[in-house]
Amino acid sequence: MIKNTNIKRFLISFLTCIAILASLTGCAGGAGSSGSSAGAGVKIFYTTPVLDDFKELLMNAIVDSGKKAGASVTVGEPCASVDDQVAQIRSAASSGYDIIICNPIDSETVLQMEVAAGDLSVIFTNAQPEEDKLEADKYMYVGSNENDAATFQAEYVWNKLGKPSKMNAVILSGQPGHPAAVARTKGVKDYFKSKNVDVTYVFNDSAYWDTDKAYDAFKVFLKTGQSYDAVICNNDSMAIGVVKAMKDLGIDTSKIPVVGVDATDGGCDSIREGGMQFTVYQSAVGQGKAAIDLSIALVKKGSSAGVEGVTEDSLYVWVPYVPVDKSNVNSFK
Amino acid sequence: MEKKTKKISSKLLTFIIPVVVLTVLALVVIAATLTKKRMTEMAKETIESSISNQADNIEAWLSENLEYFSTVKHTMEAQNPSQDEIVPFLDSFYGFNSNSPNGFYLGTSDGQLYKATQSEKAETSVTDSTWFKQGISRITMAYGTAYTNSHGQTVISATGILNDGTDNIKVLGADVTLDKISIIVNSGVKMKGASSFLVDTNDYKILAHRDVSLIGTKLSTSSGDALMKGAAEAVMAGDLGSREIDGNMVAFASVSGTDWVLVSYIPESIVLKSVEQMGILLFVVGAVAIALITVLILLVVRRVIAPLTHITNNISAMSEGDFTIEVDSSGNDEIGIMGAKVSDFVASMRKMLASISDESEKLKEESDNSDRVSKTMFEASQSQADAMKQLNSTVDELAVAVNDIAQNASILAGVVSDTRENSDKAHDSMKETVGISQKGRSDMESLSAAMGHISTANEKLVESINKVGSASEEITKIVGMIGNISEETNLLSLNASIEAARAGEAGRGFAIVATQIAKLAQTSAESASSIEHLIEEIRALIGDAVREADESAESIRENSELIDVAVKTFDQIYDNIQETNSRIEAMITDIEKVEDVSTNVAAISEEQAASADEILATSQNMVEMANNITKSSQDVADNSHELAETSQTLTSYVQKFKI
Repeated sequence: MIKNTNIKRFLISFLTCIAILASLTGCAGGAGSSGSSAGAGVKIFYTTPVLDDFKELLMNAIVDSGKKAGASVTVGEPCASVDDQVAQIRSAASSGYDIIICNPIDSETVLQMEVAAGDLSVIFTNAQPEEDKLEADKYMYVGSNENDAATFQAEYVWNKLGKPSKMNAVILSGQPGHPAAVARTKGVKDYFKSKNVDVTYVFNDSAYWDTDKAYDAFKVFLKTGQSYDAVICNNDSMAIGVVKAMKDLGIDTSKIPVVGVDATDGGCDSIREGGMQFTVYQSAVGQGKAAIDLSIALVKKGSSAGVEGVTEDSLYVWVPYVPVDKSNVNSFK
Repeated sequence: MEKKTKKISSKLLTFIIPVVVLTVLALVVIAATLTKKRMTEMAKETIESSISNQADNIEAWLSENLEYFSTVKHTMEAQNPSQDEIVPFLDSFYGFNSNSPNGFYLGTSDGQLYKATQSEKAETSVTDSTWFKQGISRITMAYGTAYTNSHGQTVISATGILNDGTDNIKVLGADVTLDKISIIVNSGVKMKGASSFLVDTNDYKILAHRDVSLIGTKLSTSSGDALMKGAAEAVMAGDLGSREIDGNMVAFASVSGTDWVLVSYIPESIVLKSVEQMGILLFVVGAVAIALITVLILLVVRRVIAPLTHITNNISAMSEGDFTIEVDSSGNDEIGIMGAKVSDFVASMRKMLASISDESEKLKEESDNSDRVSKTMFEASQSQADAMKQLNSTVDELAVAVNDIAQNASILAGVVSDTRENSDKAHDSMKETVGISQKGRSDMESLSAAMGHISTANEKLVESINKVGSASEEITKIVGMIGNISEETNLLSLNASIEAARAGEAGRGFAIVATQIAKLAQTSAESASSIEHLIEEIRALIGDAVREADESAESIRENSELIDVAVKTFDQIYDNIQETNSRIEAMITDIEKVEDVSTNVAAISEEQAASADEILATSQNMVEMANNITKSSQDVADNSHELAETSQTLTSYVQKFKI
């Protein structure tokens, strides 16, 4: 009898322990899964051109955000040509993916990408296609509004120079015809026009996004002997080239603002070292997260409504730029 | 007859024509509106596609030339000709590009101008020239803004710094005249009636326009021309959506690779001209359709209505009572059937009228009869109504009486109920009285018993007193004896004292004792005498006591007798009360019976009252009914009278018909 009750007690306490453990692990499991259920079951394919710094950041951001949201993200081999990218999209469209995120090699060819994707929605990123190639809640663009970057640049320069009514400026643009280059240059000009500033663009040429080309071009410009108040570059690489040329010739970079876009590591270093004065941070992480959020919304709801930064016409999702100068440069590596 | 036929057709026309006209008008308006909308949209699409095409053409033309210019620049940078070789180099490219008739030229920062030998290019001050200033702002060859050259031509120069590695800045340039661009712009318009012009957004100069005098002038928001003003506002605001300005449909397109905006417009009147023509055509077709439909309706109506005339005539005859007519029933449409049916109708009417005539005669007789009968009936019903009224009043009285009975019965029941309660109370009191009298009797009995005891005690007392009397007599005897004893003692003592005196001295002691004894005898005699005296008193007292005890015994006896009488009386009272009690109980039983009966009587009489009320209501209804019957029979009488008259009238009417 005594033995029997002991066995019973043991059994009861043992079972109680198991029940408590089960409930505890059950709770833990629930909490863990609730954070990553938003995108559960969504299959995303990402296609990118050959990687550079920013494209790699963007790719990693898309993969990380996908993981966090519980969606499965497959990244295609970086494509070297439009043909490769179209082939990649075509094969993805027939492989059961729900949506395609595309960083187009050439934003002029997005119609071909859309055709290759068949019925799937395509979210473009990094290189902005023309508006008539986009379609609400079907073919959308996630990026940062180039015009904002240009406005930040021009605003900084104008304030830095004490809001003059007349000034001479140098603009170095990216590759001619590249949407970002066109938009950023136009944005700067529009800003000054809107402030009624009489700006003489004493030098306005393309340096193809490139540090060396910018260095050479700026040196040629200096030979013309024209005076200039600021150098506005479409990206950091070119701004770095300009700073290098100025340093070679002993020109004080603290007097003449040289500004870029992208907040690359080089750009930020240059700001810290007192070369460039200003850049604009394009948040790869923010763009990646926005692309994933938009993908999930389009797949699950068929609508971009409610996605942060979506425009009224449902064609764009804008991820804000962040101005970077010496005061906050350390928060951008 | 003719008039009536016309009326039907004109009636039909007054209804149908407005409906047709309204429908046709609505159709025309809807068609015209839709056409206008669609054509406007098409025109907008056409002008947008035209302008985009044109912008592409301009861009292609510009870049084609620019590529050629850039190629030459690259060649020059690669060959890097010495100062003397420059002119021959420029010569070698002269005349290859008709768009740039003056060929290439090179300006240096020290004011030198190199050009092809045959070139007409001239410049007073190279470094102050627009093209040189524009040229030093870029290395890649690009178009600048428009300016007037030394020959008075408005030109655009494609210029760029010749990047030959030297410190001497050289600008290579080639001019394109705006006339050329104007030709491209004006001849590129794909839409008939549309015009285009080109604006440089850097300085808002018009680069190309159909009106040559405007080329090179600035587009201004203060322009007198509403179209130019509107276009200027749009271009300056950077808002390049299509819109309507001053009656023109205007589209904008920016020429990529430049800061130029192409504006294309077409007066809406041109776009809508075809719409107007279409509208007019629609109205004409509508009007013709209305006219045709009217004529057709008239013809059809006339044709269809013709047989109706004959039928109308026949019906007119019928309306005058002539049923001797014959109706034409040819034709297989509704009107033919109508004729046939009218013919059938006439035949059946003839038959019917004949029988009506007969029947109306009979009817008249019958209605006379019914008139008589109804009069009799009326009288009967009147007397019935009177009887009914009497009955009603009797029933009314009855109801009142029954109600009274019911009320009385209720009161009686109440009284009986009260009586029962009271008798219940009396019964209770009686019970109490019985109890009390019972107790009284028992008390009396105990009193009698006590009286007995007292008598016995008294007797014993007398006995005791008597015993005391006899004892005191004994005492008296004893006391006499004592007296005698004391006398003898005294004598003895005297003798003793004499003897003692004789004895002399020897007898002296004895003499004292004898003296003492004499004294004692004397005292005893005295005491005996007092006792005797006392006993005499006691004997007197005992005599009194015995007397009083006897008196007492006598009164006790009397009392006992009285008590016995009282006990008997109590017994009688008790018996009487017992009887009374049983009688009250019997009475209560009887009262209960009476209560039951009176309650029943009350209930029954209430029911009776209710029944009497119902009977009253019923008899009232009967009175009303009897009244109604009277009224109805009056009506019947009236009606049958009327019927008699009507049948007479009917007979007279029927006789009017011709059969």
